[in-house]
Amino acid sequence: MKKISRFALAAACAGSVLTFTVPMKDADAANWLMLQGTERSSAVGRAKVWGFVQGQMQYDFSDPHTNGKYIPPKLIGPNLTSQKQFNVNRARIGVRGTGFPLDSKVNYFLLAEFGNNGITAADGGAAKMTDASVTFNHIPFARVRAGLFKTPGAEEGLQAIHVFDYVNFTNVTNQMLLERFVVKDRFGAPLNPQNPDLTGIAPNGLERGVAAFRDVGVQVFDTISFGKLELTYAGMVGNGNGLNVGDYGDQKDVYGYLSAEQVFGGKGGRREGAKVFAWMQQGKRLVDMDAAEGAVRNEYVDRKRMGAGAKYLKKPFRVTAEYMAGEGMIFVGAHKQNFDMDGITNADGSGLDGKANGFYADFGFYIPGTKAEIDLRYDVYNRLVDDAKFEVKYTTTTIGAQYHLNKKSRVAANYEIRKIESVNDNAGLVANFEGVGPRASVQFTAIY
Amino acid sequence: MKIRLSTAILWCVLSMLFFGASAVQAEDKPFAEKRVVLQISDPNPFKQTLVLNVASNLVKHYGPDRVDVEIVAFGPGLRLLFADNDNKGRIQGLAASGVRFSACNNTMKNMTKQLGEAPKLNSNAKVVKAGVVQIVDLVGQGYILVKP
Repeated sequence: MKKISRFALAAACAGSVLTFTVPMKDADAANWLMLQGTERSSAVGRAKVWGFVQGQMQYDFSDPHTNGKYIPPKLIGPNLTSQKQFNVNRARIGVRGTGFPLDSKVNYFLLAEFGNNGITAADGGAAKMTDASVTFNHIPFARVRAGLFKTPGAEEGLQAIHVFDYVNFTNVTNQMLLERFVVKDRFGAPLNPQNPDLTGIAPNGLERGVAAFRDVGVQVFDTISFGKLELTYAGMVGNGNGLNVGDYGDQKDVYGYLSAEQVFGGKGGRREGAKVFAWMQQGKRLVDMDAAEGAVRNEYVDRKRMGAGAKYLKKPFRVTAEYMAGEGMIFVGAHKQNFDMDGITNADGSGLDGKANGFYADFGFYIPGTKAEIDLRYDVYNRLVDDAKFEVKYTTTTIGAQYHLNKKSRVAANYEIRKIESVNDNAGLVANFEGVGPRASVQFTAIY
Repeated sequence: MKIRLSTAILWCVLSMLFFGASAVQAEDKPFAEKRVVLQISDPNPFKQTLVLNVASNLVKHYGPDRVDVEIVAFGPGLRLLFADNDNKGRIQGLAASGVRFSACNNTMKNMTKQLGEAPKLNSNAKVVKAGVVQIVDLVGQGYILVKP
């Protein structure tokens, strides 16, 4: 009895000391999951208005197809109607905070997109809500976030886009992760190479916005700190329908994420540290398998994505590397809005059960004593791996420079050297890809 | 056995005293040449950072023994002294340098009504009857009032 009493006393004593000495996890600047899903405890207002504006000019130096027309990689997105384009590609405004500031256990995040990009263009250019979530911080080490928000996933997609160091995504992220959705009439004829000025047909045949690495669902997550070492986890269940609030089927997507980071210092999106991470996403998409126009035979098709990578940032150096792989629902081009099923399930070239993989390596150097940095990125995307006819390899080297006017404003210039190859020497693809040239871009970002 | 039990209690008390001692020690500033009371009553969370920065700068400039700083929080500004406040690490550091933190009891009562329970305060905070009265009293004792 005495032993129990002493143990209880010691435990109570230790508990009382721990109560005063062990800090709760600060919600600020932990990582993307924490930055986007939590607020600084008792140190945030009812509503902080924020957002950013990005404007750009892109110039594609590609030559036309032999028939004088163009395929999507030779045109500037999202509209794919020109090789030289000014664009306000992102204009977002949002509000975040705690509705009842005395209680930091509940916070919210709301953001809308007004710019012209894959989120809005397919919907006719209208503004679209990209984030609308509430986080409940009541359970130790198990915060719960619900609503529409970025899913646990690849670093390139999960990171805040306004601190992204390049103008365009890598090919693997753009094509494999940035999900496009099947149009209702899946057997709509694939679009052939187009005139850049078009003749009434939009080469971007998608009728819904891209997923923008987001989904509607519920996520459990948190970061656990051991001194400067942070371990982060997240698990999520979502509709698997991107920004399209509501679902098209009963099957749900599941997401998982783990990371470990040694924090060096700083805070926010450019906090310094060394991080390793791994993630997975798995779900099903409802697809009409009936070849007859007007007839419907919906079936679920698997969509799997996974990846792992590492990021090191300690000025003046930044190094990021990430490998990703995918299976099922492989997007095969803006002109193949039906994933190129060609009326025959599992036919060569179908993205429905296709496989893909890719990687990128990014190097940044912040020139000491200046506001400038130089960037270099190399990325490879292998689309429809092992396909007998339609495997394609995308290789891009991006040379970039950024000048930070101040902490919230910067200008970035990129020059992308692109190479697209038909692995099987498919004559049609070879002809299409011939003439793909470099792409240059200048982009300003102003965060408010 | 009794000795062991007493030792455990002693360790417990000493531990609690050690971690809660800074506020008590800070009250005694016999060599202070400057005495400053900082007011935080603003809902703007940026003001939390600002008031802590000002206190930190005062301590750095004059030295911990040469300046007597007390931060008085009331109204919406009391959130600075909530136990879960994100600035608790900085508050701990300043308290270790002798900066005192006072929490308004009137505000505490009001917030208790709104929350349904009393807010948990930082262990470095000392509850005073009324924040504004504490400021008036300190100014009467020669403290300079600064409201960042």
